[in-house]
Amino acid sequence: MLQAIELSKRYEDGHLALDSLNLEIKPGEIFFLLGANGAGKTTTINLFLNFIDPTSGMLTINGIDVVKQPLLTKKYVSFVSENVMLYGNFSARQNLDFFANLGGKTNLTRKDYYNVMRSVGLQEDAFEKKLKTFSKGMRQKVGLAIAILKDADNVILDEPTSGLDPKSASELMQILANLRNKGKSILMCTHDIFRAKTVADRVGIMKEGRLVMLRNREEFLQDDLEKIYLHYMQEAIMFDDANLKS
Amino acid sequence: MIWLIAKKDFILNLTSSRFVIGFLLCLVIIPFTMVVSVDGYKNQMRVYEVDRAEALKKWQEVKVYSAVRPEIVKEPEALGIFTRGIEGNMGNSLTIRLGEYPLLLTGHAGTRDNPLLNAFFSIDFTTVIAILMSLLALVFSFDLFTREREEGTMKLVFTNGVSRSAFLMAKFLGVFITLVPILFFSFMLSTLIVVLNPAIAFSSAEWLGIILLFGAAILYLMVFILLGMVISAWSKKSSTAIVVSLLAWVWLLFLVPDIAYYSSQSVSKVAPYDNVLYSLDELDRVFREKTDEKWGEIQKQMGLDGIGHWNWSGGYDGYDELYGCTWETNEFHRRLNAWREPARLDNADKKWTFQKEWLDGLQRQERTRQVMSWLSPSEIFQQIASSLCRTSPESYLNYMQRIREYRATLIAYFHGKKLFESFSYFTQQDPKTFLTIAKTQQMEEEGFFDSKNFKVPPYWEGSYYLPLNLDDVPKFTFQKQNAAGSLKASLGLVVGLLSLGIALFLVVIGVFQKYDVR
Repeated sequence: MLQAIELSKRYEDGHLALDSLNLEIKPGEIFFLLGANGAGKTTTINLFLNFIDPTSGMLTINGIDVVKQPLLTKKYVSFVSENVMLYGNFSARQNLDFFANLGGKTNLTRKDYYNVMRSVGLQEDAFEKKLKTFSKGMRQKVGLAIAILKDADNVILDEPTSGLDPKSASELMQILANLRNKGKSILMCTHDIFRAKTVADRVGIMKEGRLVMLRNREEFLQDDLEKIYLHYMQEAIMFDDANLKS
Repeated sequence: MIWLIAKKDFILNLTSSRFVIGFLLCLVIIPFTMVVSVDGYKNQMRVYEVDRAEALKKWQEVKVYSAVRPEIVKEPEALGIFTRGIEGNMGNSLTIRLGEYPLLLTGHAGTRDNPLLNAFFSIDFTTVIAILMSLLALVFSFDLFTREREEGTMKLVFTNGVSRSAFLMAKFLGVFITLVPILFFSFMLSTLIVVLNPAIAFSSAEWLGIILLFGAAILYLMVFILLGMVISAWSKKSSTAIVVSLLAWVWLLFLVPDIAYYSSQSVSKVAPYDNVLYSLDELDRVFREKTDEKWGEIQKQMGLDGIGHWNWSGGYDGYDELYGCTWETNEFHRRLNAWREPARLDNADKKWTFQKEWLDGLQRQERTRQVMSWLSPSEIFQQIASSLCRTSPESYLNYMQRIREYRATLIAYFHGKKLFESFSYFTQQDPKTFLTIAKTQQMEEEGFFDSKNFKVPPYWEGSYYLPLNLDDVPKFTFQKQNAAGSLKASLGLVVGLLSLGIALFLVVIGVFQKYDVR
């Protein structure tokens, strides 16, 4: 379970990136965090992963304080970034092997790696190819395979569908659904409202560091999610324009 | 976890083009450097053997004690093949004289058969290691953090419960285990070239010196890896880090030594030796005047109108050799030498105060240069290396000090045997065969010296006498510093380099704790 309580982050330059965020993602839930660029989505992820410290508030992963016990909380979380690069001179299998070992899975075999790569839809002939030859979509799949191998209770994804072709994005959603079925808490930050509609259990929209809208699946399917989202996005664009003019 | 990341980095490094280039550079540069150094050492040995044979020949031809002028020929330092240091620039021999303290070696400084080839600039093994290893260390470490950050892998690593300190240790270890084999290979290659050369035989102490040199090189390598890590931890981009690294490399390897050299001459000035020579000439002039006065005084004491010589060789430097002269002449020389040689020693002491002041100035200047160049790890390493290889200025000055001590021993021997006041100081002729002036005059009157009848007695000629047996005269010996002694001499520098490494390590820990991994 991922939890943020009254979470705020103000950067050194004075910019308030996150303002009293309250969020809870339960086991077996996919939460889509939507918002314009600079809304605070990535800051939220960085705080959960302890890449930055909060200004105030609290974060927990499986009930453990992220700030107080950062290393322990990392055991219970996997992360897939927007641009999975990994080690280009390693093959997909070698990358999996390295990160699996790093995550404490030391007894996995080549077969296990192949199985997980198959499960994310990677072609067989790519398993032993160097990652630097992979397309972005293929790399994202390897990144996801790494997250699956870690088998952590929580999965955090930062814009994973960005740059992916529709087929790959659709496959990714299927994988997330499978992970949810295994009881994982999934937090996905994205602009991809259409994918949200396919698998999300809950959706939150962030604007200027605040969670301005929260809907469960029934609610956002009933409402016109695109319209709501565009409304907030439009406000954000107008705000940006005003800032530019001033 | 540390080993896992380090192993990953090691494998990635091995397959990188920078590793291949670094390895090839060592493979090409080290053998050429060693071949040139070995050739230089062989030339030095050849010159040494010739000079030593000449010195021995001169020693074996001495017929009077006043001609005892031991010639010291310095044996080339075998470890100079690895670290040339001061070796080869300072002359290789020196003649011990009573009239002056040994100051600096003279003789052959350049050993090339063709002097025009002295313009050829060659660097030694240690310099190659200092340049290559520092460059490789920076090339492999400048983007240790920036690359992982730019490629997004750092985030992924840190989501796997890796602490920053563990990551840092692992990154250091990854580069270290990549470069140590290159360093080891370079040493193995260089020692192989030495081993395959039958003209060179290293003692066990010298092999130990090479092992210690390898240890110092490892320490040096670590310092530059840590420096690269500090730069990487401070930089947000690899492009910035590589520029900073290259600037740091040029500054530390090329500018600091030059600045230290130039500044030391401004900070610690030394008057030209010509000034010292002027004072020495003045003292010598006074000494000569006093000698002339003493000459007249003894002559007067002995009631002699003049001093006649049959067969005399000598000079102002104290060499005095007489044969076939009258008892009065011999006695005159005995009395003169009994006064003159101790006076010559006193004069040498007076001259030494000027020379020592100048020498101390040189030492101060060199020390200033050394201390200033401690700003560069490369210079610290070079100083450790020259100390371990016994080619440092300190080793040279120790050698000169030992020569001065030998001179003192020799003087004590002359005093102990009362040689200055003896006839044997200037002649081998038996005093019983000395003729008085009165006797000579009588013999002349009797026609003994008529050209028709006169036949020169053989004992009136120097060629009649065999060279002196100088077996009991103290000989110069020099106990080369063993490896433990060399290590002790360089311990301060080793501790300095180690401290620099620890300081950089602490800095990189401090900087990396705040490193933005996003």
